[in-house]
Amino acid sequence: MTERAIPWPMMALAVVGFAYMLLPIFVVVLAGLTAGEFLTFPPEGLSLRWVAAFLQSEKYLSAFFFSFRLALMTMVVATILGTAAALFLARSNVVGKAALRAFFLSPVVLPGVVVGFALFAFFIYSGMGLSRTIWGLWIGHILYSTPYVIGTVGAALAAYDDSLEEAARSLGASPWRAFRKVTLPNISQGIQAGSIFAFIVSFGQFEVSLFLSAPNAEPLPIAMYNSLRYQFDPSAAAAGIFAITLVIASVLLTNRLVNIRRLLGRQQGQ
Amino acid sequence: MTEATAARATGARLAAPALSRARLTWLLVVPLLVFLTVFFVIPVGLLFATSLNPQTIGQVTVTSDLTLDNYLRFFSRSNYLLATGRSVALGAIVAAVTLVVAYPMAFVIAKTAHPGRNTALLILVLAAMQLDMVIRLYGMMVILGDEGLVNQMLRGIGLIGAESSVQLMYNFLGVVLGLVQFALPFMILTLVGVIRGIDPSLEEAARSLGASRRRAFFRVTLPMSLPGILSGSLLVFALSISSYIVPALMGGFRVGVLPIHIFQQVAEGARFQFGATIAVILFLLSAGAVAIYLRVGARASGGRA
Repeated sequence: MTERAIPWPMMALAVVGFAYMLLPIFVVVLAGLTAGEFLTFPPEGLSLRWVAAFLQSEKYLSAFFFSFRLALMTMVVATILGTAAALFLARSNVVGKAALRAFFLSPVVLPGVVVGFALFAFFIYSGMGLSRTIWGLWIGHILYSTPYVIGTVGAALAAYDDSLEEAARSLGASPWRAFRKVTLPNISQGIQAGSIFAFIVSFGQFEVSLFLSAPNAEPLPIAMYNSLRYQFDPSAAAAGIFAITLVIASVLLTNRLVNIRRLLGRQQGQ
Repeated sequence: MTEATAARATGARLAAPALSRARLTWLLVVPLLVFLTVFFVIPVGLLFATSLNPQTIGQVTVTSDLTLDNYLRFFSRSNYLLATGRSVALGAIVAAVTLVVAYPMAFVIAKTAHPGRNTALLILVLAAMQLDMVIRLYGMMVILGDEGLVNQMLRGIGLIGAESSVQLMYNFLGVVLGLVQFALPFMILTLVGVIRGIDPSLEEAARSLGASRRRAFFRVTLPMSLPGILSGSLLVFALSISSYIVPALMGGFRVGVLPIHIFQQVAEGARFQFGATIAVILFLLSAGAVAIYLRVGARASGGRA
């Protein structure tokens, strides 16, 4: 460790970087717990008045539950589509598999505003009646959540020895039985972690929701954005506290299910 | 002889399940392929087609009347060329600043050998990345606004007058600061993998040959992280030029980048065709950066293997 100890200038810069990354989140928590009308420095004291205001506000509370419901719906479909696709990518030797994988993951890095606009126009054009409903938002969110399931389940499959299932098959188990009894238990924690990712990505999704939401179908990020454009409403920060708690709980839960260090390490190797 | 027969027999027995297995494997990917075709490829394809239709306010449907008018308009108006330039410059600046801020953070994470501490740092990065951007921007606005914490502090210590404030947001600077906040976790995670992959004995060899620690870092470790630096920067560039929420809130609609123009054309002017044209240009810029990113990534991992 002595030879590889981290030089102090590097350490100092990293501390500044972490402060920059985490300070805004800390400030939201403080702003939601402030006793005053808005956050001042030094703070005026702590109170739960804005948390109470959030719990009584029609606007944020309904948006919070709308997002929660949307994220659950997204999680179910993204987990099924993503797990199946990850199994395919792990087992098939088809030519152009790398390109197929890139195609599956591509929505994440392509502009959400553009994809949201394309879906919005497509829903109107095709007469599906999905524009500005929870169903249209659902489809947009599945596009952006599924890649996270593919990545996480893919990592679990890479760590799993495929020949175990082959052994079960050669002993006479049907394909479905071999999968359910041998492979599924081995990758189930990866699937659970992937579905948590899918939930959280949907819950925080803004860009693709922009064109697809409507006043009666408004996820939390859109509701917060609409109020932030005009004023700082501390009850929005109180809503933020609940969202922050949800995200931290999910990441900790993910860490219990899969080794985060190995998961992230593998995705870099791709 | 008997061995060969046995092998042939085994081969025949394995061939039948292998065939059905290949067919079953294909069934796994059909649902996602269908979903992506219907709700991704076709809508984006129709968007491209819409951009080639003559501008008709309020009309969404695609017609067979093809023209390049919208593109000619885009490339002949300084307004939109400036917006493109602004988006590209913004993406490049954000990539550079994010790299400088993220590298020491990634270095410290990669070199933290203690498993618990290492996991704790990664959890912080992952939590920041997964957290809703609107919430993080709320915090940024409370810190950087005219009446924000930074200005209050500057007034408190008497650096600026009681009535004045330093303009830290609602301008280009604010958008850069917000996008760096957005992009940091992506850059960190890309760099950690690459820095961890560098053989530490190389730096040790340089040091044992008399190089100072600084020199060993700048001559060995930093150059060896170049593939990660390049792919991380391309990823951050693609993410930054695509963002609507950061320019909207941190720029207060005063920094007119491409995503802002798209929304204004479509939601405020109902000009679908011209909005689609700007959207196609943004899509191609972003997809171009992602394509180079994938090639760089493939070469980097290919070299390692």
